[in-house]
Amino acid sequence: MKWGSDLSTLVEKFRQYLKPGYYDEFDYHWTMTIDLDRCTGCEACVVACQAENNLPIVGEKRYARNREIKWIRIERYWEGEYPDVKMGFIPMLCQHCDDAPCEIACPVFATYHNQDGLNTQIYNRCIGTRTCAVYCPYEVRYFNWFTYTWDEPLEQQLNPDVTVREKGVMEKCTFCIQRIRLAKDNAKDDDRRRVRDGEVVPACVQSCPTEAMAFGDSNDPEAKVSKMMKDPRAYTVLEELNTTPSIVYLKKAHAES
Amino acid sequence: MAIMGTFAFEEDFLAAAEKLQSSGFDNISLLSPVPLAEAQKVLGLGKSPVRRFSLAGAIIGALAGFALAAGTALVFVLPTSGRAIITIPPFLIITYEMTILFGVLFTLLGFHVVSDLPAWRDRPYLPAATIDRFVVVVEGAAGEQAARAEAIIRQAGAEEIHHVEEDQ
Amino acid sequence: MFDHGQPSYAEVNKDILSVMLETGPRYWMLLGTTMSVAVIFFFMPWFYQLIVGVGAAGMNRNAYWGTYLSNFIFWIGLSHSGTLLSAILHITNSPWRKSVYRSAEAMTLFSLMTAALFVMVHLGRVWFVHWSFPIPNQMGLWPNFRSPLMFDVMAITTYLTASSIFIYMGSVPDFAAVRDASTGTRRRLYTIFSFGWRGTAREWHTLGWAYTFFAVFVIPLAVSVHSIVSWDFALSIVPGLHHTIFAPYFVCGAIYSGTAGIVTVMYCLRKFLNFERYIGQVHLDNLGKLLLALSLIWSYINMLELFSSWYGGSSFELEALKFKLTGFYAPLYWEMILFCAFVPLLMFFRKFRWSWNKMLLISILINIGMLTERFIIVATSQPRKFLPNAFGFYFPSWIEISITIGSFAIFATLFLIFIKWVPAISIYEVKETLKPLRRDA
Repeated sequence: MKWGSDLSTLVEKFRQYLKPGYYDEFDYHWTMTIDLDRCTGCEACVVACQAENNLPIVGEKRYARNREIKWIRIERYWEGEYPDVKMGFIPMLCQHCDDAPCEIACPVFATYHNQDGLNTQIYNRCIGTRTCAVYCPYEVRYFNWFTYTWDEPLEQQLNPDVTVREKGVMEKCTFCIQRIRLAKDNAKDDDRRRVRDGEVVPACVQSCPTEAMAFGDSNDPEAKVSKMMKDPRAYTVLEELNTTPSIVYLKKAHAES
Repeated sequence: MAIMGTFAFEEDFLAAAEKLQSSGFDNISLLSPVPLAEAQKVLGLGKSPVRRFSLAGAIIGALAGFALAAGTALVFVLPTSGRAIITIPPFLIITYEMTILFGVLFTLLGFHVVSDLPAWRDRPYLPAATIDRFVVVVEGAAGEQAARAEAIIRQAGAEEIHHVEEDQ
Repeated sequence: MFDHGQPSYAEVNKDILSVMLETGPRYWMLLGTTMSVAVIFFFMPWFYQLIVGVGAAGMNRNAYWGTYLSNFIFWIGLSHSGTLLSAILHITNSPWRKSVYRSAEAMTLFSLMTAALFVMVHLGRVWFVHWSFPIPNQMGLWPNFRSPLMFDVMAITTYLTASSIFIYMGSVPDFAAVRDASTGTRRRLYTIFSFGWRGTAREWHTLGWAYTFFAVFVIPLAVSVHSIVSWDFALSIVPGLHHTIFAPYFVCGAIYSGTAGIVTVMYCLRKFLNFERYIGQVHLDNLGKLLLALSLIWSYINMLELFSSWYGGSSFELEALKFKLTGFYAPLYWEMILFCAFVPLLMFFRKFRWSWNKMLLISILINIGMLTERFIIVATSQPRKFLPNAFGFYFPSWIEISITIGSFAIFATLFLIFIKWVPAISIYEVKETLKPLRRDA
């Protein structure tokens, strides 16, 4: 065993591990931009997400008790009285914050930040303390209060690429990690080193009729999202909390009246 | 053979103890229902070695705590919340708790080692020692020594004297 | 110290051991009742919840944490009683603690066990709870020590271990007394429990030193445990919870709640076990003064919290504050202020501090207030986080209320079992407060 060089790499690794923000460079840094000017609040993305990710059907009674599971939800904000109502829609989904308050809360490492800048949720590891959900300022984490089942024949529409979750497990938007994984596998098989811009399209982005959402790798300066992020209307929700989210919203422009 | 003498009053008990100690008997036990500082002084008990166990436990606990936290963070490197992999403030808390845990466990061990408890074999004893009597026990005395010990105890004002045959 | 004249040493043994050695039908009925209540109100609903899912309780998307966690914190708080009374007052050589500390330590141990049960009830997949312990496994996975819940796991494990050892070691001479006063199986059992203790000067010396070290270790441990529990909340960025005052607030609240618990337990011991001789006015008076001081500190910290939330002017904080003070749970909040800040002020008056019935009432009201306080923290901060669209409401369900009631029954059961297995008052320490057995005394 080469103690000399092993020791020096160990020391170097140790120094690196003591620095906050271990991943100063992500492999891919998956980012989404949502143009609020284009969002009509149609909730096509909500339905697409439910179909793609095997979201459970919670039922009307439990929905009324605030037990819904919607990985992406449309928040409605309005000002004024009819007929001068100004309405805005904000699709709110997991922001995949680089400094996520939720990741550090989990006692069993069921949620952590992977090398692609995604905030991942490991369903198998979750023991259901729900601390991550309490810590999340955007309230985008959802809990399986029961083991939800699909009545026949709805179970035939389940996506085989995505697992179903049992009771006691937290879940949230994964940026359709199954599609990311598929794209990366295809890129590897094709001897391409990188996934091309536009190859990975999460369900919500794919289904948006007004093309309000864009998804891509912000490490790639030519990607659509990188260009959108430079827009003067760009902002992140609750940026004063320093969570550095990976979702950039483009402010809705209101006509000056 | 062991000789046991019971006393109803502290002064007699301590006087007997001192006399026995100065007469050269070294295997004496002073039983009392409450802790007596004077009895401990007669036997020359100063600082207990238990304190070394506590210190050793605390130091080992501190090292073990930090090693546990930092070591397990390095087995699978899972970054969370943009913090460092080896974060000092949370790991200091783990170190603190383990310091106390090991300190307590080692003190417990120290108690057992220093006090020679649990007693695996029967030792000369009288039940009155847990109620309201002081008992002086002289062990390992034989023949002429036993008679001398008995005389000292009787002279100090013992209520009763018992003889017990010892196994070893 | 002794209201009805000093007992003799032999009488101390007889009085205190008679509780253990003689058992009447009233005890068995009481034990049976508490065990039935515990099973029916705690374990059966919990079993139902295990089968159906945590959704059987009232938590929802707005309040993922509910009464299970607030009860957990309440019981951990109650557990600080023993540490304060036993360890801190031991270091300061206070004489009046001698008859009450054993039961206080027992309260600590049993509150911790009840609190640990609540963690299990709270978890979504409790059958994997062992994953949160650093046990080597074939997956090579370890828990996340950066998580506040892991601090919790380590702290509570350490506290449970240290408290058990603390109470056991302090009871070893008393186990010897039980051994000498009993026959048959009990005598054999207590011979083992007492390790063959004889009471030699060497053994007393070692025990005294070890006990002092235990006390010295346990005091900072207790402070750290409840600070760590408070950091489950304070290390989030939720507006009503992210305050640095939480650590001192919770520790003060814990000692406060625990001391009130001691008063309640002392009343019961005195009344049901005929310990009037050993627990007298001076104990009540001192506990009352302690409670008064703690209530003043608690009120001050509460005012600090309100003031700093308001002064900061952050819109999120103000919204959370408004909900706490004027929202749906406002009556509960003001009830808490009344019971914990104003009612204890009555203890300024000697008339209240020296009356057993009045102190019982005050101590129960304080604990109701503290239970409410934990609930307020959980129920009014989560529904008002950051995004107004995500505001909501939380109300406990029948299963949570039942489990809360059941937890008190579990505590009572454990305590009832305790008084039959361990002398509820420390025999040798009471003897230390009596006149020494000297001719000239």
